[in-house]
Amino acid sequence: MTLRIRGMTKAYGGLRVVDDVSFEVSSTAVTGIIGPNGAGKSTLFSLVTGFLDGDAGSVSFADKDLSRASPMARARAGMVRTFQVPREFTHLTVRENLLTAAPNQSGEGLLDVFLRPGRIRQEEERIRAEADAMIAFLKLDRVADSPAGGLSGGQKKLVELGRALMTGARLILLDEPFAGVNPVLIETISDRVRELNARGIGFLIIEHDLAALTKLASVLHVMDRGRLIASGAPSVVLSDPQVRDAYLGGAAA
Amino acid sequence: MEAYLVAIAIVTGIYVLLALGLNLQYGLTGIINFGHVGFFCVGAYTAAILSQHGVSLFITLPASAALAALAAWPLGLVSLRLRDDYFAIVSLGFSEVVRLIVTSERWLTNGVQGIPGIPRMFADLSGMSQASAVLGLLLVLNLVAIFAMRRMVSSPFGRMIEAIRDNEEAVKALGKDPARFKLRVLMLGSALAGVGGAVYAHYIGFIAPEQFIPLITFQIWMAIIMGGVGRVSGALVGTIILMVFMEGSRFLRDVLPFISEVEMASVRIGIVGLALILFTIHRPQGLMGDYTRK
Amino acid sequence: MRDIIELASIGLVSGLVIGLAALAVTLVFGIARFANAATGDTMTLGAYAALIGTAWTGSFLAGGALGIAAGAATGLLAYHFVFKKLEQRSSVASLLASIGVGFVIRAVLGLVFGHGQQVFQLPMVRPFRIYDIRVQPNDLKIAAAAIVTLVVVFLILHATPIGRRMRAVADDPMLAKVSGIAPKRVMIALWALAGGVSAVAGVLLGMKTVVSPEMGWEMLLPAFAAAVLGGIGHPVGAVVAGILLGVAQEVVSPLVGFTYKIALTYAVLLGVLLFRPRGLFGRNEGVR
Ligand SMILES: Nc1ncnc2c1ncn2[C@@H]1O[C@H](COP(=O)(O)OP(=O)(O)O)[C@@H](O)[C@H]1O
Ligand SMILES: [Mg+2]
Repeated sequence: MTLRIRGMTKAYGGLRVVDDVSFEVSSTAVTGIIGPNGAGKSTLFSLVTGFLDGDAGSVSFADKDLSRASPMARARAGMVRTFQVPREFTHLTVRENLLTAAPNQSGEGLLDVFLRPGRIRQEEERIRAEADAMIAFLKLDRVADSPAGGLSGGQKKLVELGRALMTGARLILLDEPFAGVNPVLIETISDRVRELNARGIGFLIIEHDLAALTKLASVLHVMDRGRLIASGAPSVVLSDPQVRDAYLGGAAA
Repeated sequence: MEAYLVAIAIVTGIYVLLALGLNLQYGLTGIINFGHVGFFCVGAYTAAILSQHGVSLFITLPASAALAALAAWPLGLVSLRLRDDYFAIVSLGFSEVVRLIVTSERWLTNGVQGIPGIPRMFADLSGMSQASAVLGLLLVLNLVAIFAMRRMVSSPFGRMIEAIRDNEEAVKALGKDPARFKLRVLMLGSALAGVGGAVYAHYIGFIAPEQFIPLITFQIWMAIIMGGVGRVSGALVGTIILMVFMEGSRFLRDVLPFISEVEMASVRIGIVGLALILFTIHRPQGLMGDYTRK
Repeated sequence: MRDIIELASIGLVSGLVIGLAALAVTLVFGIARFANAATGDTMTLGAYAALIGTAWTGSFLAGGALGIAAGAATGLLAYHFVFKKLEQRSSVASLLASIGVGFVIRAVLGLVFGHGQQVFQLPMVRPFRIYDIRVQPNDLKIAAAAIVTLVVVFLILHATPIGRRMRAVADDPMLAKVSGIAPKRVMIALWALAGGVSAVAGVLLGMKTVVSPEMGWEMLLPAFAAAVLGGIGHPVGAVVAGILLGVAQEVVSPLVGFTYKIALTYAVLLGVLLFRPRGLFGRNEGVR
């Protein structure tokens, strides 16, 4: 399955925040997006997942055109995002956060809540087991029953990852999963991403931590001032003088 | 004295129905409904008009609930996708338009004169036993509402509406449409307000447009904010506090007879206003503390 | 045809009043980022203050000045005691509190002035005709006062340093914070300005009709509708939309009847939110 982004463009006022960006992402790979702050990476995520309407461009996933689809439809098509600032459900526990994400729950229909409690109980047992497995997988056991609002930043990122996984997504878009996360947790998240990728789930990751990202990603795309300025294998891209100039610039050291 | 207490208990029971509805909408789901009184009004007029045509109580109550929910349907369908604060304005406007309609369509509602002589409930009983029967009915209605709401809160549906309250964008990111859930919640809460309106119409016996002003909506807001947003029990506690305020202001008149009825109306508006300000600033989760969902 | 033009000219005047109220709404929405439901009651307060001022001094101009001062003071008090404390919270908290502020203002006005209607003692003047269109001299005065107010407000917004800073904050609160614009000063200027503009709207509405404790609250919906139609946070848009709404209300009132005039503003509000949420002049607002 492939995510195809074509000619994606978005301007605020006169400023093109995302400017004619096109590339493809394979759902069998881990792909990275890098670029300085304000390059338009998060905006690109919002455009691809339907949270923002672009001025031009098209998006398709698994050969299905999603350019006009709602964010919900895009997520159901198998392409699920997380947010740069975690958006956990603060008053729900970690387990409940994961449970909300399970698709096709008949208990979300009001009639069934009152008329078919037995069936809902069965379903709940099944997805609860799924959520518990996810909690163990993400090493969130100790906080499983705590409200998600009280977690550390890194744990919240894990909850968001867990939620995305619970939807059964085929391609997961992570916006700065390592930002503000301690090194041990970065290792955990990286390991999980690698394992999941081996199981056939694709990742598109925006990240500033180049060391951690290059260990994961087989392809990097570089954005600068809204434009895609380079794409390719990490070693090649990072030695590109244009990239070093734009991204690493003064901070190259 | 006993009759007075029963009368207050009945009005409290009606307000608790309204508060439960709003609490479901705002406390649990985060819908800013500033037009609650509009659905109360739809319910009251439905009951009044139907019973004028000899329809029995057993039909007017469910019909009022159904019509109020039905009135919420187009409103929710078109405006629940809007930003929270835009929905607040639109719903406030909705209740004003409802009032405009019942004021203008005299053929149906008798305009500003209102509808007098609405049949009482349990008319074959008399005096205290009739009032007690009404109170009993309200008790049953409230218990059913509370029971249903608890069931809902602990279901996947309830989990989802609380997720929506916490973060709507994240719900969308999971592939679920918040508007779908919010629409159902809006309609359910409105149905409760509609039932409340029907009981009110049958109990008071006379309704007119001036009884359905936005102040009622914000009294309910005051009640749920004081009682504790998001708690089913909060609706009850808050409404009782509200009634103490409102009835207290009535006693104030007995103590200070030089205050006119019109001035009392201003005092009540002022109390609601002050309560809204102080609670939003100092105790946004109400007297009873933070969201504890059960 | 002449009737329509006459209606339109009446609508133009009430549209200017709506436009002023919408201007107050949109300024607060653009800069403090919430829908201020106390706008209507601030209008009412301005009208009553102007009544007192006129009675004291015998001069309507002096009365109007007192009205404006009272409106500005109310805005500042509301900011200091309520909205400043809610700045870090969601816009819903401020919106809910603004309902409370409006109620408190209305309660005080009701207690002090009673619920009867009062009128400005304006000199009776016969209507005259311009090209066969009947014109009320009072309407001309109202329109002139509204236009002067608008000119002053736009001069403040565009030609003074604090006005430019207000617009910068409206354009991009993040950027404004980074570039060191003192938000507190901007807020004080905002609330004084919005309160003053509301008061002018209230005084003019009182001149046109009557003064009563409910008069401003009833203008709230049209004011919101015009602010949304003009594009939230867009001052020129609010005024233009207010005028459009005022004219449309008068022109359709023979068709739909007097009472449903107000429903028209509601329909416009809904229609705009559904089909063009950024209004006539607004920009696209992204979700961040
Ligand atoms: N709603 C908005 N209005 C105006 N400018 C915006 C808006 N959202 C983002 N921007 C601008 O777009 C640019 C790209 O932002 P973003 O996509 O968040 O960058 P990145 O994620 O690469 O750091 C930034 O300059 C930002 O200021
Ligand atoms: Mg970003």
